[in-house]
Amino acid sequence: MPDWPTLLASNDRRGGTAAARKTAPSELIWKVALSESIRSSPILKDGVVYVTSRDGRLYAFDARTGKERWTFQAAAAIDSTPSTSGGLVFFGCDDGAIYAIDLTAGRLRWKAEGGGPVWTSPIVKDGVVFAGSNDGVFKAVDLQSGKVRWSRQFEGQICSTAYAADRLVYFGCGDGRLRAVESASGKDAWVHQAGDSVVASPALASGAVLAGSEDCFFYALDAQSGTVRWKVETGLGIYSSPAVAGDVVYFGGKDGYVYALNVADGKQIWRSDSMRTLTAPPLAGESVVCMQTFYGSTQAFDAKTGARLWRANLGGSLQSTPILTDEAVYLATYPGVLYALR
Amino acid sequence: MNRRTFVYNAALGTLGLAGFPLRAAGSGPRELKGLKIDVQAPDVPMSPLGMPGLFPGRVVEAFHSAALVNRRVSEEAVRAMIDAGMKALSGESNAKDAWAKLFVPGDVVALKVNPSGVPGTVTSIPVLREVIRALTSVGVPTRNMIVYDRNSNQLEVNGYHTLVPPGVRVVGLDQRWVVKGETRSGYDPNSFCEMDCFGERETRSYLASIVANEATKIVNLPCLKEHNASGVTGCLKNLAYGSFNNVNRTHTDPKTYTDPVIPVMCTAAPLRAKSVLHIMDGIRAVYHGGPFAWNPEFQWEAKTLLIGTDPVAVDRIELEIVEQKRKEVGVPSLWDRDPKNLGSSGEMQKTAFKNPFYREPGHIKTAAELGLGKWELDQIDRRRIKIE
Repeated sequence: MPDWPTLLASNDRRGGTAAARKTAPSELIWKVALSESIRSSPILKDGVVYVTSRDGRLYAFDARTGKERWTFQAAAAIDSTPSTSGGLVFFGCDDGAIYAIDLTAGRLRWKAEGGGPVWTSPIVKDGVVFAGSNDGVFKAVDLQSGKVRWSRQFEGQICSTAYAADRLVYFGCGDGRLRAVESASGKDAWVHQAGDSVVASPALASGAVLAGSEDCFFYALDAQSGTVRWKVETGLGIYSSPAVAGDVVYFGGKDGYVYALNVADGKQIWRSDSMRTLTAPPLAGESVVCMQTFYGSTQAFDAKTGARLWRANLGGSLQSTPILTDEAVYLATYPGVLYALR
Repeated sequence: MNRRTFVYNAALGTLGLAGFPLRAAGSGPRELKGLKIDVQAPDVPMSPLGMPGLFPGRVVEAFHSAALVNRRVSEEAVRAMIDAGMKALSGESNAKDAWAKLFVPGDVVALKVNPSGVPGTVTSIPVLREVIRALTSVGVPTRNMIVYDRNSNQLEVNGYHTLVPPGVRVVGLDQRWVVKGETRSGYDPNSFCEMDCFGERETRSYLASIVANEATKIVNLPCLKEHNASGVTGCLKNLAYGSFNNVNRTHTDPKTYTDPVIPVMCTAAPLRAKSVLHIMDGIRAVYHGGPFAWNPEFQWEAKTLLIGTDPVAVDRIELEIVEQKRKEVGVPSLWDRDPKNLGSSGEMQKTAFKNPFYREPGHIKTAAELGLGKWELDQIDRRRIKIE
């Protein structure tokens, strides 16, 4: 069973594995109903599915059986997708803290306190955990100790999960700016001003930072300079974080379409039929693109043509991205149910 | 606590309160059984700001030709419309003074949005942001502002959580949340509307805790939309059915209790006393298929905001606008009672000649009978502003 240790499978946001599921899941392996909503995406590491809930708990379930390994109770609701690195699992919490939990025992290793709720997923790179929060603070925390290395205050909410590259960290902000800051110091490398908030989490491919904005444009910015390589206009704002597979970037729009654009020049390869509104990040495997919709269905498209392959109706889902492996599909729904399907 | 009982006589189409008969409800006699409605809520003293508020009967209709630029709501245009509208409403020469007539820095302000017409016909983010900016300008801190609706998923899919300034809370009443370490739920168990409409299992509709206990003022931000049961979903319905839960039960039959339940709920003291301003988002408007408005064919770009302190007067003008639009496109009136025009929800989404319910726009008139505002057009001061 492959690992899926962070949002969109890995820190490169390629969004998937080689799993090429051409047919809809048709059999329930297990399901667990939690007491509150799930606003985050599940992750998978060493045969364990980790998921957070608005009930303030981080859950660890055996991926094959659904049996609960452990739970950890945080101080407030959790809206952050967890991520794992170095034997720890990280998540942000509405109490303003970033938590680091031991993967095997579910015990608190450290807690980095903060002010506003942390809805972003903590991203780990070279021993540093990066996360932004709803009060506009972006911080870098030492992975081992939980001590804050640096912290910066910005004007808008930060709901965009960061992308950490070798030297720079990229993230969007409610003030409409897409930023690149130096990972060592937090100093600005460049800032791009979009026309409205950047809520989506950026991806990086072919030297371009890729992200959409509430201003309705999807941007490809040069990763080193921040200059606009290309931008593509959609019908409404873009909330959905992009996923990259091969030379193609995929995202959903509030206008209801899944878009597949060429990373090099932004040329549209395909656009799905409208599904009213889309805000979740898509999953982009080698040949399948999956998208969860507000109205409760998970839809799969052929990655090359956009032809609809299958759909599964499981109840309301918003921000969640499924995990797709050869063995199973793991789905979290907004009402708080985690499914493992075959 | 204050508890009052309303008795609706469906055969006569009348509504009475504690033995005092009121005038006929708007839609006249209907083939429904009578309905007893108990309303219990905290006893909030009425002030001159409570409905119908400082300017009974006054409605500002602000139109901006550039409110939509390339299908997007223009923040700049919205600011101009709200500034001009608030000045016209209040008579003040600057917008800040107009807002200061209604709000003080110590207020806790609940902002009731309408998120149900995803994605195009909801309270638009620019309108919400502009109201937040205006409240900030008179000293209300963002931490004292709460955006709310019944449905957290609808709030979320519109992005309200992430697109407002830091500090503003966005609350779906169907969830629980923590304030200062204390877990709170969305509804107040002591504030409710008790009625048995169609023999449903749960006969109580509970009022939002934010409204009952937390907010000192409410800014109501409905949309200019037709509603398949109540006729329009305006100020009154956005307040009542967006602040009380378990309300769909009033419209499970072609004949509905939306009149009188909507206006009766609006008389609950916390809603009535705290709702001091209504700004209706009609930048994109809907003449059929509401409230969800999934078929964009039934939307039009009205580029208009309706502003007032009197929800009845604002809703009456909304009703006139939607009726006029339906007349223009040649579809039945909102007052239509022809059974052959009844159809399924699916048919409603395809054609403006079909609807699942007999609509009850008369709920607006009933609200006037209950003292919530002005219904008669000759008592409404409609002030049109046109910005080019």
